[in-house]
Amino acid sequence: MTGLARRTSLRIMAIFNAKDRIIECKLVYYGPGRGGKTTNLEYIFKAFNKNASAEMVSINTMGDRTLFFDFLPIGLGRIRGCEVKIQLYTVPGQARYRSTRKMVLKGVDGVVFVADSLEVRRKANMLSLKDLAENLKDEGKSVFQIPLVLQYNKRDLAEQGIPLLPAELMNQDLNSKLKVPYFEASAIKGAGVGTTLKQALLLTLRQLQKELQWTK
Amino acid sequence: MSEKDRIKRLLKEADIYRTQGLLSESRAKYLEILSLIGKNPSFSQNQKLLDGVKSKIRAVDKSLRELSDRPDKPELTQDMQKLIKKLFTFSQTKEAAAIEGAVALAKFGQYDHALNEFHSLLEQGILPVVTAKNIVRCYLALRKPEAAGQQYANWLSRDLFSFDELKQLRAFILGALKKEGIEIQLPEVTARPRKGTRVRKVEETFLEISAVSIHLQGGPFQNQTFDFEVQFQSANTVTVHLPSSRKEVAEFLAPGTRLDDIQCYSPITVFRSSGTVGGTATIKHGPKQGDYTLDITIDAD
Repeated sequence: MTGLARRTSLRIMAIFNAKDRIIECKLVYYGPGRGGKTTNLEYIFKAFNKNASAEMVSINTMGDRTLFFDFLPIGLGRIRGCEVKIQLYTVPGQARYRSTRKMVLKGVDGVVFVADSLEVRRKANMLSLKDLAENLKDEGKSVFQIPLVLQYNKRDLAEQGIPLLPAELMNQDLNSKLKVPYFEASAIKGAGVGTTLKQALLLTLRQLQKELQWTK
Repeated sequence: MSEKDRIKRLLKEADIYRTQGLLSESRAKYLEILSLIGKNPSFSQNQKLLDGVKSKIRAVDKSLRELSDRPDKPELTQDMQKLIKKLFTFSQTKEAAAIEGAVALAKFGQYDHALNEFHSLLEQGILPVVTAKNIVRCYLALRKPEAAGQQYANWLSRDLFSFDELKQLRAFILGALKKEGIEIQLPEVTARPRKGTRVRKVEETFLEISAVSIHLQGGPFQNQTFDFEVQFQSANTVTVHLPSSRKEVAEFLAPGTRLDDIQCYSPITVFRSSGTVGGTATIKHGPKQGDYTLDITIDAD
């Protein structure tokens, strides 16, 4: 492959510049409203600031709810001879912003599903995952094939005696068919954020390597 | 656990849900507390406790009202709009990218700005029918159906569209308004094109298609869906590639085969259509020797 190519296949939309050996891909943080998607990105921005190629952009409104999306570009440096750049996005989680979520999912290469560990959000998690599957299908993608990692967020609230869903139950609800990697996390404290991102990147880059063969 | 501790725990839970922005959940907990208080005489006389919980419910209700009253998609700054256009444009051709950028603005609710972009693209003659349809969609999203009708009347008097395109647009506007439950009268397109009206071929208005999904409804592959990337496109005919391992599929999709369920993926939109297999050829040389190419003509609506 020579020059700049965007593989607009049904599966991937990453940009691979074979001449300059640059690969850019898109990772979307998905999940129910108030689950911690933006908090994940905020932590990543603070923790990996020197890798951020630009400022984090958040289009939100009062009460710090994401209204459109958050966007954070980061550079990972050279991996197997290729400069790897990642664009991280979040989507608005509230049910009424479905069309915005569909837009943000366009061209997605990998997904981090941020589930809310609060017991009262059990149904919201499942509805959001179903929404993800449907929106991916509309884009010609499958939730069973796209690089996907689950994050069970807000685990820190157990310390305050707030009823949480056990991870086993969350797996039963969300991961019994998907069987993807999952990580417990507390995005507000940063716990598990880096691990989740790292695994998501690994899966996404592996998939891209398979599709684009950029390491050859 | 004593009733007092239970109420304390529930109050803490409700307060935390509130700080998390989980207003409905928070409200439900406060109501649970009120119910508990009501059932227990030693608490139901505690006016301070009752007032405290009721005050929290009022505060949550106020927040819920403010949330539902806010506009779904407020206007964004120009910088944000530029960013949206940059991040949500995937097409490699300049024309399709321009349309895609304007579509992205519309999809993020920036209808007025999207309209400005579409009008500008129309004046430049970029994918006019696609652009015109998006102008109509913007007016409908802004709840201005009469503006869509007036726009059409304006187009009738100008030299932007061919006779067939105007007919297409008229049908599109009437259909779109009907879906909204609106019936308006639109002038008919005159039988002869106006002097100077451009006669443009269908291919200039056909979208760039990057991939197709064909759902087969009969024969040996009944209810199976096959995904193909488009290798080449000329007007509404796309050429896709089949590996040599799919010989049976290539043989089934013989020239003349009607395909009633095709999902077409373009950078701008995804749409359902139908089509006909135009031709099949075996690749005789090169790395893909033995594989097949298939021409599919998509029905132009």
